[in-house]
Amino acid sequence: MRRGLFLFVGLALLAAGCGKSSSNSSDLGHLTVAVDVPVTGSPYVAQTIRQGLELATANLNAGGGVRAGEKSYRIDVKLYDNHLSARQAVENTRRALDANAIAIVTDGTGVNATWQIAQRDGVPISITYDGGSGLVDAETRPNVFRIAPTNHGIAFRYAEYLVPKKAKVALLSDDSAYGSEGAADLDRAFSENPEAVATKLTLPAGQSDLTAQILRVKRSGATALLVWGQPPTIAAVLSAARSSGWDVPVYAPPTGADPFIRQQLADHPEWVDGLTFASGRMTAEVGTAPFESFQSQYESTYGADKVGVKTSAGQPVIQPPEFAMYAYDFAHVLTAGIIRAASTDPKKITAALNQVTTQGANGDERGFNEHNHEGVVDDDVYFARFHDMTFAPVHDDPLSSTLPVIPQTG
Amino acid sequence: MRRALLGAVAAALCAAATAAAAPPSQDVVLPGPVPYPTPNPPLVGKTAISGGFTRYVFHIRNNERVLVRVDETGSPLSLRVRQRLDVGGRGDYQFAVSGPIEDVLRGPGSESEPGLRADQVLWAGFSPGRKVLAADVTLRPGEAAQYLPVRLGLEHTGDGVTLTVANATVTPELEYAGTTRPRQIASLLDRTRRTARAGERLFAGYATFYGRVRQRAQRAQIEAPLRVEGELRVGSGNPVRFSELLGDAEPLALQVHARGAGTPHVKLTATPVPVERLLRPPGGAPTWTAALKRRPLPGPFLLQRLLQSRMRLVRGDQYQSFLANPDADGRSRSVYVYETAKAPRQQAVAAPSGDDERGGGGPLVILLAIGGAIVAAGAGLVAWAHS
Repeated sequence: MRRGLFLFVGLALLAAGCGKSSSNSSDLGHLTVAVDVPVTGSPYVAQTIRQGLELATANLNAGGGVRAGEKSYRIDVKLYDNHLSARQAVENTRRALDANAIAIVTDGTGVNATWQIAQRDGVPISITYDGGSGLVDAETRPNVFRIAPTNHGIAFRYAEYLVPKKAKVALLSDDSAYGSEGAADLDRAFSENPEAVATKLTLPAGQSDLTAQILRVKRSGATALLVWGQPPTIAAVLSAARSSGWDVPVYAPPTGADPFIRQQLADHPEWVDGLTFASGRMTAEVGTAPFESFQSQYESTYGADKVGVKTSAGQPVIQPPEFAMYAYDFAHVLTAGIIRAASTDPKKITAALNQVTTQGANGDERGFNEHNHEGVVDDDVYFARFHDMTFAPVHDDPLSSTLPVIPQTG
Repeated sequence: MRRALLGAVAAALCAAATAAAAPPSQDVVLPGPVPYPTPNPPLVGKTAISGGFTRYVFHIRNNERVLVRVDETGSPLSLRVRQRLDVGGRGDYQFAVSGPIEDVLRGPGSESEPGLRADQVLWAGFSPGRKVLAADVTLRPGEAAQYLPVRLGLEHTGDGVTLTVANATVTPELEYAGTTRPRQIASLLDRTRRTARAGERLFAGYATFYGRVRQRAQRAQIEAPLRVEGELRVGSGNPVRFSELLGDAEPLALQVHARGAGTPHVKLTATPVPVERLLRPPGGAPTWTAALKRRPLPGPFLLQRLLQSRMRLVRGDQYQSFLANPDADGRSRSVYVYETAKAPRQQAVAAPSGDDERGGGGPLVILLAIGGAIVAAGAGLVAWAHS
């Protein structure tokens, strides 16, 4: 039983608020949730977030909608494309507020600019991908929430994991916003163990040949590479290291699991072997059943997310819907917040989000509180290692060693 | 063979006759380790969601330092608890600590960040085997102060200031009376004493009563014995230091006078301590069983001493957790620190009303009660010595 505390309340609220309504569906009111994602900038991320949110709202609507006080409502999802542009995200936020959205779900693009706009109407924003440390702050950004592993948590878990191995780690980051934010968190995480750091280097994002940079890193005496960057950067690092015969262990943030890397290195699957990434665990202590149930529902609705590569046995590899799960979970926390608030007033819903917990798609509990708007706690960060184009939790980390392998072929 | 058969029949008849002649007996549960005589402490939040539980895989040691700022009259102004939970066990955890909680911050050495909800501190994460969770919890003094174990009174008198420190844990409790076997009660007293001396939690126990079990008409007044240490200073005068036990057959209040003019400053710690004096065997005997062998001890006296000692141990255990330990079976230790702070008088917390659950009154009432108790105890001792 994983984190059973408060769960019964969340379930009771959901049960009370989401029961099959006897009234005709045409009697239902309508609530809009905006999803602002990079459809044309990062299509896999955009698709998985949108589908996770839509799957949850479709289930809720089919069950009679959500009850807010005396009336039931169905939840409509309205899609906006931010093109990975903060300016576009601002524009989308304004349009979403004009459309009376009660919440905005985003990958994280432009939140530094959009949260204040949404805050004027008390509308909550939920980030379900970007783990940037400054994006979420319950004190200064009371309307921003996140269900996704944080950069802070990942960086500190890496320090906790790698320092005892006595590795000389090269901290590499690309010059994207994602890479810069990650580099800052890595600096903080390794600041108490400077002896564990062989070198720090910023890599040009989007450059496919990093041979010169990786040679320099090798000469620094590094025995491990921790690469915080976009998927193309990680693929380029692997390519440069392996093509030069350097079999150094490579570690990465959640972008290490992005299908792009495997697609890029499909001709050299052995180069992917040993790549380790950190992310939020997909299964809870209750086992794989809840996540498999969610995955099955997701795939029967949208089809499996195919990576586009095969195992050595010729089986097609599929990507588990990790980030879809976070959007799905936020929809349920939002629903619990609406029920608790007994209102569709975004300000009341935002306040209520601090007091509710629901069961997540993986059987874990999801919720926020007045001091913490992170739905994935740092302790939930695990490490997984690739072999034969699929990944499995590592065995040399206390949390990861408790986790089962998620099936990834189909 | 025939003789043996007759013998067996005779023995059976004899046993039956003895059983018929003996009064009916029943085992009566002794006080402890639970329930506690009052609902608080550990504190309970009014709006907190109940129903939390801690999985059996976790064993948690709870240490608390309760910091009470008092005004120039001794009334509490603010309450803060530094709670440290040493979690043993591997797996996912989610704990909630409830109470009239205003705010919470991460405490020193904490390996996780506490969350805050209405009247709850939340802890959630994964324990790899050992984990330290520490929080600085700010309580609403208007609701929490009434459950503090000690009440202070500061009064300007004559040439200085008089501090009254009163044990505020006194509560009335039902007490059984009846016929018991002194040897069994003495043995239970010895075991209870060993437990108390080891600083362990009480074991569950039974005493066998013969005949009717009565409730005493007058409820026993039970306190958590407290060790109180500190100093009182007035203005720039010399501090007057004190260290007293309040309870466990000692007075329930003390007075300290410090000469001088100016603002009084008091700092003291109150620590719940196990019963020691009341469990000391009479006549210098090493054990109650040995004392009973030396001379007869009245059954009612032994029984009352056992019950009241155990009630005090339970009451003391109750004050070891001002905030709850998520592991109900886990070891808890609390220290209460009181210190004067400069603050406007109007912020002081109003004294609890007369219908306070502990039934305790102000320091004066407690002092009068102590006087009466000492006189009664003295009279009882004299009567026993002449019995």
